[in-house]
Amino acid sequence: MWLDRLYTVGIDVGSNSIKTVLMEHDDNGSEAKLLFSDLSKIRKRETKLVAEQSFEQVLSRASLTPDDIAYVATTGEGDMVDFRRGHFYSMTAHSRGAIHLNSAVRSVVDGGAMHGKAFAIDERSKVLTYKMTSQCASGSGQFLENIARYLGIPLEDVGALSKESTSPEMVSGICAVLAETDVINMVSRGISASDILKGIHLSMARRLVGLLRGVSAEGEVMITGGLANDTGFVAAIQEIADSENMNVRFNTHELSIFAGAIGAAIWGAFRHKKLAQSELQHQ
Amino acid sequence: MECYVGIDLGSTTSKAIYMDAHANILGRGIINSRHNYTLACQIAQEEAENHSRFAILEQSIRENGTGQSIAATLMPVLRAKYKLAEHNAQLAELRRICMKDLDNWKDPMAASLYLEAVEHILHRMEQEAVDIYREDTAEKSDFFRDIATSQFMEFAQDQVRRHVEELSFERLVGIFDRAIIRVESVSFAKSFSAHIDFAYREVAAMPAFAPYRDQIHAAVKIADEREFNIVRIVGTGYGRQRLPFEKEQIRSEILCHGLGAHYMFPDTRTVLDIGGQDTKAIQVDGNGIVENFQMNDRCAAGCGRYLGYVADEMNMGVHELGPQAMQATKTIRINSTCTVFAGAEIRQRLSVGEKREDILAGLHRAIILRAMSLLARSGGISNEFTFTGGVAKNEAATNALRTLVRENYGEITVNISPDSIFTGACGAALFARN
Repeated sequence: MWLDRLYTVGIDVGSNSIKTVLMEHDDNGSEAKLLFSDLSKIRKRETKLVAEQSFEQVLSRASLTPDDIAYVATTGEGDMVDFRRGHFYSMTAHSRGAIHLNSAVRSVVDGGAMHGKAFAIDERSKVLTYKMTSQCASGSGQFLENIARYLGIPLEDVGALSKESTSPEMVSGICAVLAETDVINMVSRGISASDILKGIHLSMARRLVGLLRGVSAEGEVMITGGLANDTGFVAAIQEIADSENMNVRFNTHELSIFAGAIGAAIWGAFRHKKLAQSELQHQ
Repeated sequence: MECYVGIDLGSTTSKAIYMDAHANILGRGIINSRHNYTLACQIAQEEAENHSRFAILEQSIRENGTGQSIAATLMPVLRAKYKLAEHNAQLAELRRICMKDLDNWKDPMAASLYLEAVEHILHRMEQEAVDIYREDTAEKSDFFRDIATSQFMEFAQDQVRRHVEELSFERLVGIFDRAIIRVESVSFAKSFSAHIDFAYREVAAMPAFAPYRDQIHAAVKIADEREFNIVRIVGTGYGRQRLPFEKEQIRSEILCHGLGAHYMFPDTRTVLDIGGQDTKAIQVDGNGIVENFQMNDRCAAGCGRYLGYVADEMNMGVHELGPQAMQATKTIRINSTCTVFAGAEIRQRLSVGEKREDILAGLHRAIILRAMSLLARSGGISNEFTFTGGVAKNEAATNALRTLVRENYGEITVNISPDSIFTGACGAALFARN
């Protein structure tokens, strides 16, 4: 092992998938580089097991062993990951990840499987204020995934289809579980998949823009979480924000879905150095 | 023979009832409907017709002097073998579709890899088919999808474990997911003649029944050749607007459930129906005519789908939920209202070591609590009370309901028919007859 390299792993345990990143940090902690990442859907398997496999996956790709990792940090619902060293609250991790991906952002929208969150941050990624969706999964990422499944459309095609829409079907607050039959009804009424998806994207976007307004977001906004990969959603949220005259520009990054894991890995490195320093002082 | 048909197109299952001119139920059919209502209607009806044929078959055997003694032992075996024939036909179709799909894969390397894995999985499913339909095996789901899904998932896990480097579980299950939808869209119910013939030959080869083979054959022939002259069909249920029927042949679910419950239990005054995706509390008069009702159809919490989602989440069949919940030693309070959130809460509770059965007991209580508030809003319970819909088949749910009814309304007669899932279809058949 090279002494001047510091490796940390960040694991973001979501309700639908587990995101793991392996990062390399330079000595003074100012530079962090992502080496490998892994996205594993849980698919009803034991979360702990999936997390372990995901962890092993990134290590084996880097030809590293668990002993080479200075700090394993979790975020999200990481309580069940028993090989972690520390855990970071999800907003803390997401904001740090967002700043890492684009240092200009001052607000973050986290579109996760179950919750939508919006928070304003400063240049050091400190969370200033936040808003969250309530106790209903309508309009969540899981909701969108269910709809795609009911329509028989692979998740990766959803964005492009939604952007083709010419007259979006207006939907508002339908139950994430009952949506299946609602969608069947729309299909049998002859509404195209792209109009259904766009309508759903707009309704989801409206909800999240409402949250953003609640944290007085302005300027650059980073979308994190699974929804960041959905170009149809990104277009819809910009459309809604523009129509409401909000001065925001939405950013995504190909690694947006890993923002939480990246943030956790960076905080892990930070904490590791702090610990190492205090150990030195004690000696 | 003349018959009247009631069809209840639910969100999760479609039910059909065949009724004769004297309002006797001839047969009933149920299938899981997810995709195409016209097809669901057709298949449910065919199932009901087959069920009627079985009733005729049983009757023919009982009416024959010596046959009476074997009817009780013969019928379960004959039914099981018939189900096996149906199951095998569906398996063959599943195999055909999976192979055809794999044939179209662009990457020949991956295709041959997955082909081999799917081949292994299907082979094991085919081998186990006979064991599933032994007449003495424990309660199982009525639906091919449920049985096939749990088998495929289990065997796919095995394959992935063996070939960790090459196979993705996700992709394997994807092959199945795409195929099963199409298997469900094929009607196998029409093949009564072929399947009953298979069942007959299996039975005739058994020492216990071989001496009676001629009688059995005669009964099979009568049942197979009986013609049904359908006088009128009435449709109800969530998908009723999609039925290819005249307006007069469609009735609301509320009316049908009220009338159906009255037919099954004439003294009923309050009906609770927990269906797949709506819950209804109905007050009826002495003739089964609806006086008042309350309904929840905007949120899955409190509907049958809630339990369906939970079953999915716990990797169980819906029919296994109740029995497992009955093993509970305590009832865990479920804090989430939303179904999706409850799913996450389940996973979290399992990961901290709570027992499945205790969590399930809590989930059953949660769904009944939602229904109780609906009942209260519809006018409460004052006299005989009937519980219908798919959830009424679930013992843990009915126990929770009985407890809560007693706590809130005192000693009330609670009627639960084993055929309560057919209440709506039964009401529709009665409307068809009148």
